Amino acid sequence: MNNIIEVKNLSKNYRRYKKKEGLKGSIESLFKREYEEKIAVNQMNLSVSKGEFIGLIGPNGAGKTTFIKMLTGIIAPSAGEIDVLGFYPNDMKNAFKKQYAVVMGQKSQLFFELTLNDTLRLFKEIYEIPEEEYRESKNYFIELFGVKELMDVQVRTLSLGERMKMELIVALLHNPKILFLDEPTIGLDAVASKQIRKFLKEINEQRGTTILLTSHYMEDIKMLCKRTVVINHGTKIYDGNTEELFERYQRNKRIQVSFSQPTEVKLRHDYEVQIIEDTPYKKTYETDKVHAKDLLEGIMQYDPVDISVEEEEIGIIVERIYEEGCEHNA
Amino acid sequence: MRKYLEVAKIYMKAQLAWRSDVLFNMILTITKMLFAYLLWGIMFQGKSMIGEFTFHGMLSYYIMSSFLSQLEMSGRVSYEIQDRIRNGTFSKYMIIPIGIEKYFLSMQAGIVMFYFSFQLIASMVWIFILDIQFTFTGNMMSFLCAVMMAILGIIFMVQLNYLLGILTLKYQGISTFLMIKDNLMELVTGSIIPLALFPEAIVKFMRLLPFYYVTYLPSMIFTGKCEEEAVLGVGIILSWCIVIQFVISVIWKKYIRKYDGVGI
Repeated sequence: MNNIIEVKNLSKNYRRYKKKEGLKGSIESLFKREYEEKIAVNQMNLSVSKGEFIGLIGPNGAGKTTFIKMLTGIIAPSAGEIDVLGFYPNDMKNAFKKQYAVVMGQKSQLFFELTLNDTLRLFKEIYEIPEEEYRESKNYFIELFGVKELMDVQVRTLSLGERMKMELIVALLHNPKILFLDEPTIGLDAVASKQIRKFLKEINEQRGTTILLTSHYMEDIKMLCKRTVVINHGTKIYDGNTEELFERYQRNKRIQVSFSQPTEVKLRHDYEVQIIEDTPYKKTYETDKVHAKDLLEGIMQYDPVDISVEEEEIGIIVERIYEEGCEHNA
Repeated sequence: MRKYLEVAKIYMKAQLAWRSDVLFNMILTITKMLFAYLLWGIMFQGKSMIGEFTFHGMLSYYIMSSFLSQLEMSGRVSYEIQDRIRNGTFSKYMIIPIGIEKYFLSMQAGIVMFYFSFQLIASMVWIFILDIQFTFTGNMMSFLCAVMMAILGIIFMVQLNYLLGILTLKYQGISTFLMIKDNLMELVTGSIIPLALFPEAIVKFMRLLPFYYVTYLPSMIFTGKCEEEAVLGVGIILSWCIVIQFVISVIWKKYIRKYDGVGI
């Protein structure tokens, strides 16, 4: 086996402080504190091979980020076995840290008052990268991300999308074996997200970097990850092929249309269509993805001014996996 | 070692990014010096000595101690660690291959070097303009001891603030600890009540505490006073650095597992 991540029965429990409402509750808590135990990750098993691109999805609070934090050594597991690149992550050995990188959408490694060149120089020294390798790596990423003209600009003046590119360059400079990405496209517009996805795909394919990605955006997962792990309430409920996941569990499409004048839409169909919203100017329908095209053609006859077709959210997919009790490869 | 040098350099560069900060810091140094010149000028009218100090001796002590006090800026270390632990961004230091304490020491060294350079220039210019006959120790041994004491004093303060910062892992909030530290420091360095007003036994006790050796004693030695305390002073502050380092490693090992990295 060529596994670089091996996790068995991994769990993480948190103890969190509970306070009763109001001033009385605050005073009482001074003398007597109540805590509750929260299971963030529960008996997780996972094996990851070199070069894989894996998506970790699940609703908010599912345990994705906690799981990544345990894999990177930021937090210690409560129970279970964990082996990443031959290390126990929470030992926080420098030899281990040199082999991975983490990019968390809301936690920056950049110095906002300085330029990317300054930050890269610091990371060159921190990761002890030889000068020639540093120059080669830096030039590769400057070209890949198309940021040549931004290298000498104060980071704080950059857009969110540009900043995320910079975060990725800093993280990838030392050519890590594993890249952990926690919501890298959060807050980015469609164009910037698409660019980031393109770069990640290229890095995975060209450099063979193993990537674990958590994201709320289905598009990120569908475009990038061959394998997806679905987590809910700290438990793995799906681990398998991404295409199969969406084929089996993402069944419906939501079509939203707007009209320039009050319009009454009468659709003829022999398949199920759910009307989510029906106002004179705006209608929202939901149908299974097989009939979405027919439904759209029917709506087009009423000459809408705006149309959007959306896929089901992660929460619905998770619910469906639960309902059907299918724990595929989990 | 190179990585820590680069950390110091990047923080030095970060200070230079804000031109108004540089300017106002120089103005602060100049203002303090002018104020001291005028104040002590009035106090010394018709007198050649106050206590053991001549007018120029007093100004020399004032310049030296305010110079060292301005270099002691480690307070931000504890606040930064506290804030980062509480909002979950302390992880940024945990995922890179560095010693976190050494990172903060280097960060502080970069900032201190920056202010040291500018304040030194500002002080030299004003010593020349105001024609202050700067009193300086002629004893090389005392001078070296004072330099070592000043450096160890700054290191100790970073260590102390780092220790208080990581106590956030256990206590979530450390403002009470910081308040105690600040008050204790002011008391021991004579900023609240002159040391001369305390009974001798209490002053002796205070001399066992590290704060006495951070700015007060080095300033006195640099200006040719208390030179008999120089060697012992280095020994005491060095011992404190060793003791606190031991406490840091115990506290870190004990509490780092409590870090949950949650916040934002």
